[in-house]
Amino acid sequence: MFSLPYIAQQLVNGLTLGSIYALVAIGLSIVYGILRLINFAHGDLLMVGAYLALALLLNTALPLGAAVLLPMIIVGGVGVLVERLAYRPLRGAPEVAMLITSLAVSSVIQNGTIMTLSAQPRAFRLPQELIAQQKLGVVSFSTLDAVSVALAVFLMVLLTLFVTRTRVGIAMRACAENLRAARLMGININQVIAYAFAIGSALAAAAGFMWAGRFGSIEPFMGFLPGLKAFVAAVIGGIGSIPGAMLGGYLLGFAEIFFVGFLPPELSGYRDAFVFTLLLLVLLIRPRGLLATGAEREG
Amino acid sequence: MSKNALFYLALLTGLVFLAQSMLNDYYQRILSVVFINIILTVSLNLTNGFVGDFSLGHAAFMSIGAYLSAVLTLPPASKASMMPQLPMWLSQLEVPFVLATILGGLLAALVAAVVGIPVLRLRGHYLAVATLGLMVIVRVVAINWTAVTRGAKGINGLPAFTNLWWVFGWALVTVYVIWRLVNSSYGRAMIAIREDATAAAARGVNVTAHRMLAFCVGAFFAGIAGALWGHLITAITPHSFSFLITFNVVVMLVVGGMGSISGSILGATVMTLVPEFLRHVETNLSLGGHPLYGLSQIIIAVTITLVMIFRRQGLLGGREVQLPRLFDRQRALPRARVDTAG
Amino acid sequence: MKRILSALLLVCLVLSLAPFGQTLAAEPIKIGGMYNVTGGMSSIDAPGLNGMKLAAKQINEAGGLLGRPVEIVAIDGKTDQTAVTNAVSEMINVHKVVAIGGLNDSTYALAAGPIAQAAGIPFVTAGATLPTLPEQIGDYFFMTPFGDDAQAYAVAEFAVKDLGAKTCWMLVDQAYDFTTALAAFFKERFTALGGEIVLEDKYQSGDTDFSAQIARLKALSPQPDVLFVSAIPNEAGITTKQIREAGLTQPILSGDGFDTPLIAEVAGENADEVYYSTHAALDNPDPKVQNFVKAYKEEYGRAPENAFAALGYDMMMLIADAIKRAGSAEPKAIRDALAETKDFQGVTGVISYEPGKRVPKKSVTIIKVQDGVYSFVKEFTPE
Repeated sequence: MFSLPYIAQQLVNGLTLGSIYALVAIGLSIVYGILRLINFAHGDLLMVGAYLALALLLNTALPLGAAVLLPMIIVGGVGVLVERLAYRPLRGAPEVAMLITSLAVSSVIQNGTIMTLSAQPRAFRLPQELIAQQKLGVVSFSTLDAVSVALAVFLMVLLTLFVTRTRVGIAMRACAENLRAARLMGININQVIAYAFAIGSALAAAAGFMWAGRFGSIEPFMGFLPGLKAFVAAVIGGIGSIPGAMLGGYLLGFAEIFFVGFLPPELSGYRDAFVFTLLLLVLLIRPRGLLATGAEREG
Repeated sequence: MSKNALFYLALLTGLVFLAQSMLNDYYQRILSVVFINIILTVSLNLTNGFVGDFSLGHAAFMSIGAYLSAVLTLPPASKASMMPQLPMWLSQLEVPFVLATILGGLLAALVAAVVGIPVLRLRGHYLAVATLGLMVIVRVVAINWTAVTRGAKGINGLPAFTNLWWVFGWALVTVYVIWRLVNSSYGRAMIAIREDATAAAARGVNVTAHRMLAFCVGAFFAGIAGALWGHLITAITPHSFSFLITFNVVVMLVVGGMGSISGSILGATVMTLVPEFLRHVETNLSLGGHPLYGLSQIIIAVTITLVMIFRRQGLLGGREVQLPRLFDRQRALPRARVDTAG
Repeated sequence: MKRILSALLLVCLVLSLAPFGQTLAAEPIKIGGMYNVTGGMSSIDAPGLNGMKLAAKQINEAGGLLGRPVEIVAIDGKTDQTAVTNAVSEMINVHKVVAIGGLNDSTYALAAGPIAQAAGIPFVTAGATLPTLPEQIGDYFFMTPFGDDAQAYAVAEFAVKDLGAKTCWMLVDQAYDFTTALAAFFKERFTALGGEIVLEDKYQSGDTDFSAQIARLKALSPQPDVLFVSAIPNEAGITTKQIREAGLTQPILSGDGFDTPLIAEVAGENADEVYYSTHAALDNPDPKVQNFVKAYKEEYGRAPENAFAALGYDMMMLIADAIKRAGSAEPKAIRDALAETKDFQGVTGVISYEPGKRVPKKSVTIIKVQDGVYSFVKEFTPE
């Protein structure tokens, strides 16, 4: 009943959506791995990244690559700043205290954006060559989709190399494994955490560019949904695990697209319920996600 | 009931009576919201504070309580026009408010029991995500089950039954039940589970049963609060019970101090009144003719962050506030003597 | 910590007392401005409040009402039903407003309206378009805009009579009262006129990907004549873009949810053959419209963001008109005068309430987007 091109098309759609979720989920997961903090402000950094990218696109003649890279650098810095101001004073506090603080940070960023830039959605238009439709065999996709997937994969490879090959990266994994032992081994915890926030936030900014390009417009609340979805993705994959976040992101992307694409239209309204039921099933079979790390401590 | 308890009960009742007879509708409304938030926070405290299960599902249970009670209290005439697809027996039913509220709470508890069997096998943030999922599922059902919930339209024109006496009464019941529960052998078992589930199990505590009990009791009162809220606002939609509500309750709980009933009461009161107060400030403030809407949210957020940094255990930090004993002379006297000596 | 808190408290106290220091010549007439200036509704509500404030400013510059200045008590509803009901109650019981206007969504109007009704304070919604609102809330509730039924009927008639459509595909956002009601009214009239809905597909607000729905549309054979998309402004641009990118060229129809510059901005060159119904065409040469646009630009430094700015302006002027005709600022008198409103010339059209009805019979404007340019097509006046 479904033609092959249709199925192929849905696979492509799932892949692009999954790439975005994966990028956001990685950032959440790196930070969670070390601090046990669910950073609810993560999605808002995605929003900040998208606004910065739009500002660059509209006001400067910089090449497109810069509109992706510069926001990544700036938002990475914002992430480090937020950590320094709001989360570091809470080091060692109960997890809920940090969680509440991240909600507060999210509120500050959102309302600050409304007050300074207004809540009006703004069009996020990319140059024509990026939104042009490409045809590859039976499937069609925009150049942006292809670039998004390629960029996501590139960033993930880069990140994997970083955490396996560099000193800071290895220290980061050591901290995720056991923060106290890592500190005893002479690892500079603050430095590692700053790196984690910088990387996670930069990835969120990259995802913000892709999300905005896909949706075509941006607004101050745009970070909430991808942030929440990424949280779910990270948990499916096993929160704290980087490969887990990637896997979870793609699984969620495919699940969402397939539920709408292959179920009759009457049921497509139930998509989010299906997705969360799937999440519950995954958790019941593997209570700590698919690729749980040994690091996940009780409670 | 001891003389002290009776005295404070009488005092509170007197205050509510005064409020009810002297304050205008606006202040009564704010007080009602305070009491509803107390019910929500104290009941969430049972799972999140005493058992240590981090649940984010409170809005889901509120939603269930609000919807069921709304369907039960709406006059048959409005049901006939608003919900023509409702089964005959349900559409002709008109239940007194108190019964509808209790049934709303019971249904929420029932759903909690059914969902709890699989979900309570999870712990920590995994449980948080799972309960968040419950909220999404309940909302999706509310949007799509149009025959009963009217979908995105929501149900409106609920009789405005909720007044100070109802919310005050239910808040009293909630605090009393949870206080008794926490100070019983069940409560001690719950705290043992929070501190170390494995050790508690080794000492013969039925961990699953106690977590389930807390989850269901919490859900019951969330359902009650939902029913009260519905009949205060008089219009409910699937969007009424969003992440925002759950997060607000969690903030009240954490700011007050988890694991403390008086902390929950304080947190709910402060976090309801302060935003309301700041709204006045914000409304009267402008910068060069440019109104500063959104400022109150930012001030609250910064304040919460400061509270978390300087009092990371919350305002009361898990301790309970003891009201001074006025009639129990045997105990009151020695303490007074120590004070004068010091 | 304590010191910081007490200092903060002191500042708040001083600030909250500040306005009482001002002295006013004549006692102002207080009107409540009930809008969700923060949160999810703010992109629609904030321009509405701006429009309302602009109207009040103009009224005061022209000498006020009954020799008294108008003061708008605007409290943020925060896109939260509890906050909205608290705010309405505060306006009535603390600030003693004589009338309230605002809100652009029925979810909030249905919570706020009954409070004003019970207190006997007229409430004029600026932009909530659910036609049954006044009937559900009571005789103190009035609407500035036409009802969704009127605009959906106009679009359906336009589709059948002007575009010659016989079959239609529908895409409906399930998450909102407004989108589902609009779709239901459109379907009712379209089928009554002999049209056929070949497929009704759904999505949830917040979705970014409509490829599955569009794929199902593409699989239809024969292809439907027109496409009806019931969406809120946030999704107006993206749905248009994706439908056109999939190579579908049929006219796209919608209601005032499509009244946003985002269609042209997001869909760009793809934004063609889009028709939607709305309250006012801001390129209308009528001096009333042009004066409003000009004044708004002068006041806020930008053109009105959407039709809700004009509706907020009209709502305030409508209340002012009633106060003038009543010759009194008593709530009951204002209500009675409002109910007798006849041929009130607003930016968004002529408002009259028929006896016993508090939804205006207003003309519906159809706008066409072609190559990214918005232009006025025609006006429907409901019979």
